[in-house]
Amino acid sequence: MTVPAAMMRKVLLTACAWLVALVVLAPYVQMLLTALKPHEELFASPPGYLPESWQFGNFLEVWRVAPIWEYLRNTVLIAGLSTVLAVAVALPAAYYTARRRFRGRRMFLLLVLVTQMFAPTALVIGIHREMLALGLIDTYAALILVNAAFNLAFSTWILHAYFSSIPVELEEAAWLDGCGTLQALLRVTLPLAVPGVVTAVIFTFITAWNEFVVALTLTSTPETQPLTVGITAFIGQYEVQWQYLFAASLIAIVPVVALFAYIERFLVSGLTAGSVK
Amino acid sequence: MATVHYDGATRWYQGTERPAVDSLDLRIDDGEFLVLIGPSGCGKSTSLRMLAGLEDVDAGRVRIGETDVTALPPKQRDIAMVFQNYALYPHMNVADNMGFALKIAGRSKDEIRQRVRDAAQLLDLEDYLDRKPKALSGGQRQRVAMGRAIVRQPQVFCMDEPLSNLDAKLRVSTRTQIAALQRRLGTTTVYVTHDQVEAMTMGDRVALLDEGVVQQCGTPRELYERPANVFVAGFIGSPAMNLRQGRLTEHGADIGGMTVPVSRQARATAASDGDGAVTVGFRPEAIDLVGEDEGVAATVTLVEELGSDAYCYTTFRERESAPGEVDVVARIDPRKPPAKGETVHLRVRPDETHVFSTATGARIPG
Ligand SMILES: Nc1ncnc2c1ncn2[C@@H]1O[C@H](COP(=O)(O)OP(=O)(O)O)[C@@H](O)[C@H]1O
Ligand SMILES: [Mg+2]
Repeated sequence: MTVPAAMMRKVLLTACAWLVALVVLAPYVQMLLTALKPHEELFASPPGYLPESWQFGNFLEVWRVAPIWEYLRNTVLIAGLSTVLAVAVALPAAYYTARRRFRGRRMFLLLVLVTQMFAPTALVIGIHREMLALGLIDTYAALILVNAAFNLAFSTWILHAYFSSIPVELEEAAWLDGCGTLQALLRVTLPLAVPGVVTAVIFTFITAWNEFVVALTLTSTPETQPLTVGITAFIGQYEVQWQYLFAASLIAIVPVVALFAYIERFLVSGLTAGSVK
Repeated sequence: MATVHYDGATRWYQGTERPAVDSLDLRIDDGEFLVLIGPSGCGKSTSLRMLAGLEDVDAGRVRIGETDVTALPPKQRDIAMVFQNYALYPHMNVADNMGFALKIAGRSKDEIRQRVRDAAQLLDLEDYLDRKPKALSGGQRQRVAMGRAIVRQPQVFCMDEPLSNLDAKLRVSTRTQIAALQRRLGTTTVYVTHDQVEAMTMGDRVALLDEGVVQQCGTPRELYERPANVFVAGFIGSPAMNLRQGRLTEHGADIGGMTVPVSRQARATAASDGDGAVTVGFRPEAIDLVGEDEGVAATVTLVEELGSDAYCYTTFRERESAPGEVDVVARIDPRKPPAKGETVHLRVRPDETHVFSTATGARIPG
């Protein structure tokens, strides 16, 4: 390729990337601009793109008009604990199915996959009855269990794939070097499965963070409602307080973005490179 | 340091029709270098892994020194293994790879550092101690795998085709290095390979396996000079021994018109317990090219020149009723090789033939 052609290609690719980014980010920009408008401007006709008077105070006001702190705390606890639970259960299942050949192994893995095919919405009534019977309505436990269960299949599969890709000789070498089964797992296998664990954590955490339908059904008080449910309070019977709704939504995005920015560095590929020829 | 004793050790994988290793009986002396060799799938790795504790022993026992290790987990056997694909820990640098077992055993940091450095010096790895395995060449990785084994000063080394991932030249130099290192350390070693040159050059003794059964175990010279059966005769040696079915006659054995000398004793034994049908073997170097009125006339089909040696592939038509052809490979003087298509006269030297029973394949002594 000639130099100008290479340049051209680079410019074009960059332009395309920016275009995609723009399309993806546009709704967020709209949210941000709306969140900065005073209430009267929201229904102005014709609507303006930029606020005429910038209401940065909306972002402070929103904490006062609704118990955002409580909602945020609930969301963090529910998403965090269901992630821990899902990964803790998926790890042994994935390890065992990757390392052992046993009767019904394929069947088990397929079954796990099948559970992914039901949308939460379709199951929500059954789940509600179940939690009612268990006396868990309007508790953290209910949402943690349900979120963990919904994400178990993905976590199991991704970890299964990771464990399968780690040569079994590495564990055998560790056994001969004096490790027990658990020690070999902790010192050799798990460190190499870190990208898989991180993927499972990110996926589960984000899905649980954004979960709405089940939380709406199972919770009824601000003590347990997560942010996704809590901010629906801004949707009133006669009007929607868009500026607060969007301000709260943007606040809800920040922790997830921060988590992703931090954890993404562990997603390096090729961790097992060089171990086996 | 210890002896290793396989006592009827058997491994039968579920759902297979015969044992992968069938009542293996082997005694390996303290400090000995034993090579397990055989064609692919004959049970070499399985035998080695039974010793290491990575494979169940379905029947029989395995002992290391005085200890019966049959039911012990790998970590209690004090064995170091070099895997075919090295199995280096990719998240640890070379020093940590080599010191891992000592760390698990709870040795002090100073001791670990010292022993790792000593091993690194021995293997010429001092400059690479901080590198991760992925930043090493194939040969360096192989040496790290060796280093990880010798740092531990274990009772037994197990090596499963440790050279098969190296290029041909490196394989030859590493071969001698490993053999020299083992002699120097004096650690009992079981070495698996499918390469007979490795087996012949490295082993104090060689055990040849086929279909999970030991065919012969002895010094490389014994296997070469007195193969116990047709399989051993055909497996050891390159190019392979000429093996032909023939009939006993008054002077020797007749293979399609060529008379091969056979000792009187062998003729007598074969005649007394058989129908006279034998399989005769003679190595390419047991053949002389002779003058026109001697030996048997054969046509040269191919000449393989290897520099120091040359091999002549010949064929001659059977003289008698069955009109087949007989192929014979002969080693010849590389300075005056015959041309392709030329006719040469072959004669097998006396005392250099091997006679086997065609029915059982077993060697007929003589
Ligand atoms: N995990 C296993 N399950 C079933 N059969 C196996 C297993 N491992 C090895 N085998 C069979 O056992 C025989 C011996 O294998 P192996 O010891 O690996 O041979 P090699 O001499 O090539 O190292 C082969 O026929 C192989 O197919
Ligand atoms: Mg093998």
